[in-house]
Amino acid sequence: MEKLTYRQPGGKIITRALLMLLAILMLVPVAVTFLYSFFSPSEIKAFMQTRGSYDDKAWMAIKLSPQIFSLSQYYEILIRDTSILRMFVNSAFYTVLILLGQAVVVPMMAYALSRFRFRGRDALFFGIIMLMLLPFQVTMVPNVLTLRSIGLLNTIWAVVMPMWFAPFYIFLIRQFMLGLPNELLEAAQVDGAGTIRCYAHIVIPVCRPIIGAAVALSFADCWNLVEQPMTYLSQRVDLQPLSVMFNQLASESAGIEFAGAAIYILPALFIYLYFLKDILAGVQLTELK
Amino acid sequence: MFTHKKSVWLFLLPGGLGLMFFYIVPFIGGVYYSLTDGSYRNAFVGMDNYVAIWKNQMFVLGLKNTMELSLICAPLVWVLSFAIASLLNRLRPRGAFFRNSVLLPYLMPSSAMLLIWLVIFDYGGVVNRLATAMGFARVIWLQGSALRVPVVLLFVWKNLGFAVIIFLAALQAIPEPLYEYARLEGAGFWRQTFGITLPMIVPTAFLIIILEWINAFKIFKEVYFIGGAYPDESVYTLQNYMNNMYGKLNYQNVTTAAYSFALIVFALFGALFLTQRQLLKRLS
Repeated sequence: MEKLTYRQPGGKIITRALLMLLAILMLVPVAVTFLYSFFSPSEIKAFMQTRGSYDDKAWMAIKLSPQIFSLSQYYEILIRDTSILRMFVNSAFYTVLILLGQAVVVPMMAYALSRFRFRGRDALFFGIIMLMLLPFQVTMVPNVLTLRSIGLLNTIWAVVMPMWFAPFYIFLIRQFMLGLPNELLEAAQVDGAGTIRCYAHIVIPVCRPIIGAAVALSFADCWNLVEQPMTYLSQRVDLQPLSVMFNQLASESAGIEFAGAAIYILPALFIYLYFLKDILAGVQLTELK
Repeated sequence: MFTHKKSVWLFLLPGGLGLMFFYIVPFIGGVYYSLTDGSYRNAFVGMDNYVAIWKNQMFVLGLKNTMELSLICAPLVWVLSFAIASLLNRLRPRGAFFRNSVLLPYLMPSSAMLLIWLVIFDYGGVVNRLATAMGFARVIWLQGSALRVPVVLLFVWKNLGFAVIIFLAALQAIPEPLYEYARLEGAGFWRQTFGITLPMIVPTAFLIIILEWINAFKIFKEVYFIGGAYPDESVYTLQNYMNNMYGKLNYQNVTTAAYSFALIVFALFGALFLTQRQLLKRLS
């Protein structure tokens, strides 16, 4: 059946229709967030106040165009009251610090685990896999014990430092490096390059797609941080990233929350567009089993 | 492959130190907390904490909800992503737009999506409009046990795309001549699916169920977005319990809960590994 329809263009119409419906479901929430960010704060406020009514005759209006197209939500959050902007900066700060640390630690570890033979390598890799399988509820305990004993709880490093050693990205990049042809490094060795030269000048450039993919995936994690700041920074409201504040913004509803969401989505959108090719290539070229 | 190179220690050093310092050593050290009573004398109490925690209603509730939610989410993402990847595979080499739009939510912060979720799942929202249009009664999605529906859907919306592209890559890696040969032998669609496609993607399918399951244990995120810090009983997860105990500085309970959960997780994944090995043996 499948292969018959493969040859008949008409047979793909249902496939396309289903996928179109799916694409709409995936894209609409993002599109509507941007759309609502151009409504005036008073209109959004009035709209959000119609939520939570249990009157069986009343409906929330379906709003698809603003009464007046307005940038005042953006004006409010970017210029008048910068408290949302400050939390946005917190988020960006965490993300940059985490990604920088991972850029040092993760590829080096993956390189050692994939291109070297040394005693205890298999045990180490096994340990990393075990760590990868553990949910956050479990790993937060050792993290807290260490952070508490060195006095880093309720500082930004409590969120940042444990994330530097994320086992999933070590696994991901190691799998990719395992697939690199041996000739590549042997040729360099014949030319007199040592392990460090090989790493910096051959392995890292060749691993560009998977490193790009790892950056994008890790960004997605960092940009949606919730558990870590909530537990490790429970006493520091001023250090919370924007991702934990939307719940509060929605219940207070000052009419500016959609612009807040829109500016929060925007960097993620850029990362998505910039790294899309890398994610696809990285997943395709990695032996992920 | 480099052998007998001292420089390997250079590459291992930063990661190894970090893993030791933040994960492995405190993980072993933490066992001590779970075996003592936390008083000023810190007396050794053996397994008492473990016995006590299994009698603690909130822990059991949190564990039960975390397990149930992850058992809804992970298989749901698994099945849906396979179906979508198969559909995309039929459109090959086109269909890039569909693939890209399914992947987009994976990069989106679901925290920011919460606003839309609150609007569409409101009692007077779009979802209930659709429900009444199809002749059903309205549902209170944002309170009580129905809260699980928007929570699960937010998780699925975000996590579907990554699983789809992994499945799609695996489907595309199956050599086309295999199918051609099978068709020459007179194999139909179902024979091809069960004879070629499924055995070829077993390892990938296994990887995805593991990855999604680990991810689904973190469903606290979605619960917190929609239900706040003190959600309804039906979505009170293990993370909520841990946060409460942690807030009270009750390290005995936190560590005991964590190690109990770790044992369960390892038992589950161990069983999954064995199943996969058996399955592969039988298929080949």
